[in-house]
Amino acid sequence: MDLLQGTLEMLVLRTLGLGPLHGYAISKAIRAQSNDVLEIEFGSLYPALKRLEVKGWVSAKWEVSEANRRMKVYRLTDVGRKQLRQEHSKWAEFASAVARIMGPLAEGGKG
Amino acid sequence: MSLFFKLVHLLPGRRRAVEEEMREELESFAALAEAEGRRAELGSLTRAAEKGRAAWIWSWLEQFAADIRFAARTMKRDRGFLFTAVLTLALGIGANTAIFTLVHAILLKNLPVVDPTALVRVGNHEDCCILNEAASSREGSYSIFPYETYKYLRDHTPEFEQLAAVQGGGADLSARRAAGNAMSHSSRGEFVSGNYFQTLGVQPLAGRNLMPTDDADGAAPVAMLSYQAWQRDYAGDPAVIGSGFYMNTHPVTIIGITPQAFYGERMTETPPDFYLPISQEPTLGFYSARNKAELGWLFLIGRVKPGVPMASLQEKMSGLLRQSLGELKDFQTVQGKTQLAKAHVVLTPGGQGVANMQHRTASSLYLLMGLAGMVLLIACANIANLMLVRGLARRSEISIRMALGAAKARVIRQMLTESVVLACLGGVAGLLLAFAGTKLLLRLMFTQAIVMPVDAAPSLQVIGFAFAVSLLTGLIFGVAPAWISSKEQPANALRSANRSTHDGSSLLQRSLVVLQAALSVVLLIGAGLLGKSLNKLQHQELGLETENRVIIDMNPMKAGYKPEQLQGLYQQIEDKFHAMPGVEHVGLTLYTPLNGDSWSFYAYVQGQSAPAPGQDAGTLFNRASPDYFKAVGQRVLRGRTFTSADTATAPGVAVVNQAFVKKLFKPGENPLGMHIGLVDIKNSGDFEVVGIVEDTKYQNARDEPDAIVFVPMLQSVHIGPPKDLDSSLYAGQFVLHMQAMPPDLEQQVRRTLASIDPNLAVDHYQMFEHQIEENFSGERMIATLTLLFGVLALVLAAVGLYGVTAYSVQRRTQEVGLRMALGSSRRSVVVMVLRQAMLQAAVGLVIGIPVALFCVRTIKSVQSQLYEVAGRDAGVIAAAVCILAVAACIAGIIPARRAASIDPAKALRAE
Repeated sequence: MDLLQGTLEMLVLRTLGLGPLHGYAISKAIRAQSNDVLEIEFGSLYPALKRLEVKGWVSAKWEVSEANRRMKVYRLTDVGRKQLRQEHSKWAEFASAVARIMGPLAEGGKG
Repeated sequence: MSLFFKLVHLLPGRRRAVEEEMREELESFAALAEAEGRRAELGSLTRAAEKGRAAWIWSWLEQFAADIRFAARTMKRDRGFLFTAVLTLALGIGANTAIFTLVHAILLKNLPVVDPTALVRVGNHEDCCILNEAASSREGSYSIFPYETYKYLRDHTPEFEQLAAVQGGGADLSARRAAGNAMSHSSRGEFVSGNYFQTLGVQPLAGRNLMPTDDADGAAPVAMLSYQAWQRDYAGDPAVIGSGFYMNTHPVTIIGITPQAFYGERMTETPPDFYLPISQEPTLGFYSARNKAELGWLFLIGRVKPGVPMASLQEKMSGLLRQSLGELKDFQTVQGKTQLAKAHVVLTPGGQGVANMQHRTASSLYLLMGLAGMVLLIACANIANLMLVRGLARRSEISIRMALGAAKARVIRQMLTESVVLACLGGVAGLLLAFAGTKLLLRLMFTQAIVMPVDAAPSLQVIGFAFAVSLLTGLIFGVAPAWISSKEQPANALRSANRSTHDGSSLLQRSLVVLQAALSVVLLIGAGLLGKSLNKLQHQELGLETENRVIIDMNPMKAGYKPEQLQGLYQQIEDKFHAMPGVEHVGLTLYTPLNGDSWSFYAYVQGQSAPAPGQDAGTLFNRASPDYFKAVGQRVLRGRTFTSADTATAPGVAVVNQAFVKKLFKPGENPLGMHIGLVDIKNSGDFEVVGIVEDTKYQNARDEPDAIVFVPMLQSVHIGPPKDLDSSLYAGQFVLHMQAMPPDLEQQVRRTLASIDPNLAVDHYQMFEHQIEENFSGERMIATLTLLFGVLALVLAAVGLYGVTAYSVQRRTQEVGLRMALGSSRRSVVVMVLRQAMLQAAVGLVIGIPVALFCVRTIKSVQSQLYEVAGRDAGVIAAAVCILAVAACIAGIIPARRAASIDPAKALRAE
């Protein structure tokens, strides 16, 4: 399923809101939480992470995982957390607005 | 922040580190995914990396940098091409930039004052300098005003924050420091209203500003000194401020120095040295213009309050003007009243002040701009051709790149980058050329400048202009080659590497050569016409002799002479200078031929009725000492000239020229012995005509000789009321006719004049022929530059033609070899190649000649330049055709001979 412009960054922020993760785990988390509806290609996820890093909303650090593998782990910064809150309320407003318009067709579904 | 990151990323070391990190991270993803058996879902890691990079940097910037690096590498390989292209571009861009420097400095710049755009000039023309107000309008539009009218306008227009007045002409001053034994300087003053500097918002560099109180009746006489004169004449001495001067023998105190950048309210070669309040004019000036309500002599410039609508202000001021002028006698007659009804002012933007230089030079500058643009176009065509040739040589390279998957857009972009890089190199070289070129232009334009009104150093705008032109040039000459290269079919080009007989670009190349030839014909014809016109102007029969003659300007009025002292002064000048070794004749006069000065009056012949209204009875008026006619070489046809017996009290006598006889006497009438008068018909018995001299050009070298009447130096002409000073009694120049020109003549002249009276300075010293030459300086500049551009265009066109012909010979080596093997003679090969080159030149001619004729007919600034030369002058056109033909021949013969020297056996074997 295609994502709306800018939505991916929001999803990444939301996912990182739960705790620090490495890139592959982020993609896995999004897929799992969306019940396999949202499939994130690395070709999209990776640039999104870079953009967030450039904006200063996430920070990245090389860490060694339990499997003794060097992984780059991303976590939300304070600015990123504020941004997440903003995006969240904006999204809620947007989603309810869309839902109001889309309502009459009866069949319920996500976004 | 992010921009900083992006820029930092461009640093090579930083970029390597980031790349490494990115690779490592992506690999760790891949490893994880593989461990889970989902590698396929990851997609292309390379694409992910590419996109990740794009997030980090402006990838186009990186690509651009890569393009530039690549361009630099390829150009380094090809030094000959680089040199030719950069030189060609430098000439083209340099010529344009040099002329733009002038256009910018003269036509586009405002006065260096506070908020110049808020300034408004009252009036739309610059007719000058002391005019009878009734005669000063152009179709009712008034631009020069009497002092009374200025005050009236100023006091009734609260819409102006300030309304200032400034003298239309300049004030001739002899200035001497009161302290010590100082030399007197011949200086230029300007009378300005007391609020002049406040209006412009100019603060003094040192001392205090001129204030309205300084302009009040009975105020202590003060003046502002210009920075330039302060540095030049007084070595920047701070003690000058507050010190006493004598100006035209009257005491004046210097109160301040104007800022360095300030040059007055108009751009001129002779900016004022001193700014004096108008209240000093009756004392220091010679005309008491301030006290004469009928004399227009002031330009008005003001600062309008914000938000005042111009249209209504103009309407209101026109009404005020009519009220003010209605007070004058001249406007109370029947004719005067109809004139008054039409009287109005036009408010014009005053940011450039009094814009006569702008109005005077605009058409020449735009003409030059057009010519320079043509040269640049030719240069562009030339380089486009070179690029095409080069593009074809690089065919296989480009084909390989495209075969390997380079996008068409990417190839075009890369080629365009090369063009722009080349153009910018040319632009930098062009800027250097432009700097030198501007200096040359300024010297050609302002031959007599005391202070160059324009700075040759390129400003930010000029550099911007050069850069913009370079960019545009690069695009113009780069687009065609880039487009053609990108259309290349990779497979075809690779297969036929260097053996193609198909020559897709040759039509385009030939068209470019034809365009060059056509443009250079236009420029050559232009140069020919202007050159011929200048030659005719310079070598026309003026009716004068100029060899071994010098002209000396002086002003006895400045030195404080009273009319009754003049007889003695003139006698002394004649005697003292005659006594100098080698002097043949000494002639005194008001003004010599073509020195830019003139006096004119109405003339009346005794016994004839008054001229009908509208009939032109005007004549130039001059005075001459007994030896004057011999001194300037003006021939006497009948009767006599003046003698020492023709004194102020002797019976009035006059000498007239042929044009005067033709204009004022009836055909067949013998003027000798008849009486004429000037100014008013009641004076018509004043002078007996005693001699007739040959016509000479006095006022304007382009027009037919004017009628002129000469009277002796001191006989009265009844110009004004008897109590008024008759300033026509004061000689302005004298001429020395020498047997030979001793090298130290100027020093001798200065010493001799000073020995008569130390207050009497040589205001200007000049050879007679130089004085006449100066009349043509504008024409000479235009003709010289057009010729320069024409030659440049011709050389570029010839190089272009040579390039294309040589290239086609190279590509046709095998064909030529085959032809020769089949029996073609070497001669016929030469003819074949030459014919092709000449054909292009001929097509260029066919296009160029009508374009040139059309331009000459339609462009006004070209027409106004031509003197006694027809627009379709056959000689000039024939010469241009011949020159182009010769150039084409030379450009064609070299490759033609190379073609003829092809060895058929070798050429065919190469196949």
